[in-house]
This record gives sequence, C-alpha cells and structure tokens, in this order.
Amino acid sequence: MPNKIVLKIVYYGPAMSGKTTNLLQLHALLDPQRMGELMVMETRDDRTLFFDMLPIGFQQEQTLDIRLKLYTVPGQVEHDSTRKAVLSRADGVIFVADSQLNQQENNAVSFENLADNLHKVGLDIERIPLVVQFNKRDLSRIVEEKTLRERWSSSAWWPLVLSSALKGHGVIETFERLLERLYPAVNEAHGLSRHYGIDRSVFLERLTRCREDHHVR
Amino acid sequence: MYDDREELSLDELLPPAQVTRAMILLTNLCGAEIVLLRHPEAQATPVEFSLEPVAWLKSDLPIPQRRAAAALLELLLFHAAKYRLAANLHLTATEANYQELQQQHAALQASEARYRLLSESLQERVDSQVRTIRESQQKLYESARLRAVGQLAAGMAHEINTPIGFISSNLRTAQEYLGEITESAEAESNLGELIEDFHSLLEESLDGANRISGLIRDIRLFANIDQTDHRHFDLNALIETTLRLLQPDLATPDTVTLRLDRLPRIPGYPAKIGQAIHNALTNALRSLGDEGKVVVTTRPVDDMIELTVQDNGHGMSQEVRERAFEPFYTTREVGMGSGLGLPVILDVVTAHHGRLNLTSEVGQGTCLTLWLPIAGQAS
Repeated sequence: MPNKIVLKIVYYGPAMSGKTTNLLQLHALLDPQRMGELMVMETRDDRTLFFDMLPIGFQQEQTLDIRLKLYTVPGQVEHDSTRKAVLSRADGVIFVADSQLNQQENNAVSFENLADNLHKVGLDIERIPLVVQFNKRDLSRIVEEKTLRERWSSSAWWPLVLSSALKGHGVIETFERLLERLYPAVNEAHGLSRHYGIDRSVFLERLTRCREDHHVR
Repeated sequence: MYDDREELSLDELLPPAQVTRAMILLTNLCGAEIVLLRHPEAQATPVEFSLEPVAWLKSDLPIPQRRAAAALLELLLFHAAKYRLAANLHLTATEANYQELQQQHAALQASEARYRLLSESLQERVDSQVRTIRESQQKLYESARLRAVGQLAAGMAHEINTPIGFISSNLRTAQEYLGEITESAEAESNLGELIEDFHSLLEESLDGANRISGLIRDIRLFANIDQTDHRHFDLNALIETTLRLLQPDLATPDTVTLRLDRLPRIPGYPAKIGQAIHNALTNALRSLGDEGKVVVTTRPVDDMIELTVQDNGHGMSQEVRERAFEPFYTTREVGMGSGLGLPVILDVVTAHHGRLNLTSEVGQGTCLTLWLPIAGQAS
C-alpha cells in the first residue's frame, strides 16, 4: 500500500464573497490525476449551509498517494461554530475577500474571525500557509489596487491575488500560490523530495494541471 | 469526535441492510448476479467514495454494465455521505458549543461566588465605617455642645459682672447716705423703725450682689475664660469652685464632704481637670438615694496626687462597670445622660499622664480614684 498524505485546505471569507464559486471553477478547470465529485451543501438560496468539499490528488507509482481536500466554510456570521469545526486541523487557508467598496467592513470582520478561530483550534494565522484573494474584480464599485497595496503590502500575505471567480480568472493562480506556500511544510513533514523525488515544481504541476479545452489563467 | 481525515467506510456511509437491498436491485436491473466484495480481487470493479475504493463489484456482466452498476452505487454513496458528513459536522459543532457554554457557565459561577464574597465583606466594612463615623460625629457634637455652653457661661458672666459692680457700689453709697439720714432724724421714732428696715434691706441686697459676684468668679474660672493654657494650678481650689457650681444639685449643704490635704500646685489644663471633677461629682450625686453622701479627698502619694470621689449610692453591676468607659454607653434614660462622663474623665487623666481606678458594688456605692503626676508633663 502506498503512503497516504491527506491535506486540508479551507476557503474562508465573508458571506457571498465567492468561496463556493472558487471551488466550482477549480472543479471545472483542473485536470489532476485524480478528482472526486464536488460535494456542495447549500440552502435553496445558494448559501453554503455546512461546507463544500472537493477531493483531488495524485499517486506516485505504488509509493505515495497525495490527497487534497478543498473545503469552503459558510460565510454568514451565525455559522461560527461550523466554521470552527471545518477549520480544525487545516493545513492551509485561502481567504476570499469581496472587492466591493461596501464589503470592506465585512472583510475585516471575517479576517479577525479567521485569526480568532485559528487560535481556538490551536493554529496560528502568522504561521499557517495563507493566501488572500480579492475577488469580484470584474465589478465596477471596487477597492482600487493602489489602496489594496497600501493596506496589505507590508503584511506577510502580500502579494494578494486579484480574481474574478465567476469568470474563472485568478482561481487557479490563487490555488497555485497556496500550494507554493504549503509545499515547504509538507516537504518537511513527509520528505516529499527526499523520499519520493517530488520537488516543488512537480508538486505544483501535478496538482494544478488543467484541462486542454479550458486553459484560462 | 469527527475526524475528516479518516475516510468513511462503506458501513459508515450506508447501513448493511441498505447495501444488501441496493445489491438486490442492481442484480435485478442487470439481469445477472452481482456480488459485493469488501476486499479487492482480480476482475472486480472498484466502487469509490472521495478517491477511496470502499467496495468491489464482481459479476459475469460485460465491463460497461459492471461500471454502470458501480457508478450507480457510487452515486448512492455520494448522497448518503452528504448527510453523514453534515451530521458529523453538526454533532462536532454542537458538542463544541455545549462545552464552551459549560465553561462559560463555570466561569460565571466562579465570578458570581467571588462577587458575593466581596459584597459580603464590603457590607461588613461599610457597617464598621458607619459605626466609626457615627461615633466620631457624636463626639464632635458633644464637644461642640460643651464648648458652646462654656462660651455662653463666659458671655453671661461678662454681661452680669458690670451691672453687679455698679449695683454693689450704689448700694454701698446708699447705705452711707442712710447712715447720715439716720443721724439727722434720730428724733422721729417711727421713722427710726422704717430706716432700720431699710438698712437690713440694703444689707441683704449687698449680700446677694456679693454672692452673684462670687458665682461669676467661679463660672469664669470653670469656663476658663481667662486662661486656657497649660499652667500650674491649685487642685483643691478647683475642687471647691466646681462644688460651688453644683450647689443647687445638693440635697443638703453637707451632702458633699471635702477632706483636702495640703497640696503642691500641679501642672496641667485646669479647665479640663475641672471638667473631669465636674463629671465625677455629677455621677456621684446622681447615684445617691435619700441620705446619700459623697466624700472627696485629696492627698499626695509619692510623686502623684491622689483624688478620690466616694459615694454610697446605688453602685454598678459588673456588666455596667465593664462598659462604663465605653463612649455613649449610659444607664440613664434617653436625653438624661450623654454616656460621656467617664470617657471624658479617662481622656483627661490620660492626657495628664495620670491613672484612674473604678470600684463599685451594687447597693454599696462607687469609688473613683484619680492619680495625677505632681511634676508631670501634659501632652
């Protein structure tokens, strides 16, 4: 039996910022060696109720079986205990912020909540691999790039990824950025390059491989 | 605790009875027997959930049909899993919430207990502060009252002194005139009686005026109008003066007997010592029944002067004696005693570096003894 590594990646962020859309696009665009069904648990008005989950992965001959489970959390404030349960034992986090001007307060509240919940489940926002994505760049009344630079360039999470998940822009790039930040920790824990000859570029290539007909980046 | 890293097994996804039912339906649909295996076997088709094979289908059916049967079973498992995962997550979240609530509850209880304790000790402290404040207010009130009485006496003494002076003087002059008139009117016998009577009237008035003058002298001395400072004074004279002030309270003139030795003058505050003697005599006089007597003695003992005030009044029980020096403790009716008599005596004696002793028996009387240093230094 090959050694199995299961990694958990959580899409976090305020309500309606596009977390599920990110997952739907990954499901449509990615073509990894292995990909399971996308499980979507939502209410009738398209709000995530528990979580969404997409399993992807690849096998290295008969020696290694890497699985990534991509989760979303419900963004609405009242589902905090569900968010905390989903966040438990996460290996990496993608924070999906809403670029619209009137959503900046919600972004801040949700980011605070992320830090808080990570702490509660024994993780540290300063140390966990984390990528911040500003979504909905296709809309008109949005925060300018200049402002985002001023606010975030001195943080550990710079550069941000600007995306339009609905159009499929920036989704793969965000995921890729997260894998880049995730690789060193996984390599250290499991000796990916030492034991299996999987260096960072192989790791990225095998997990972000896209369908030929949908190559949108 | 729900752990989403462990993949769900077939049994966790779908109860065995449901699996059996699904297999019968699949077999009927395909028209050939399909067997569900829990371990891989050559030629068997895997049934996956979340990238993990959870079972294998073995059958003689053509491969596309076998794959379709496996896919149908996977679809079934996928939807069963949705419920199972949601239920697990819900349970985890609920348990966490419950634990958090319990912790909050425990913390609240602890803090409530802390506050209850605090409030109890606070009440105690407030009560004791209130007691202290009430006591010092009472003391202030008493001393202010005593001061006011002293000022009133001093003022009165001054106001009375001047008219008494010229009344005495006028009376004397009138008496001289009357002498002259007597000489020139000796012949008239009737007039002689009248003048005789007039003489005695003037004598009496003069005597009265002199007594008022003496009383004013005593008040001035007692209220200490002239000298409020520390000085050497004659204790015996102070006792006599104080007794004169209490004359109206005496049942008979010989109720109080003074046995005063010759004494050196002692240093101190005569006004305060006077107050102490006044209190001691008042206490003694008020305890007396019919035929009650008070004896006051003074004598030098070593480097002290001993002053005793002994009465044969009703005396004190042990309980009363124990509390006698407590400020505001009184056995008299409300308004009749301040409860400050003995405490003031104790304060005065202590201020003069003296000592004090109280003995008393119910029905036998009370003896208060003070010792004041002859060469003491008052604070």
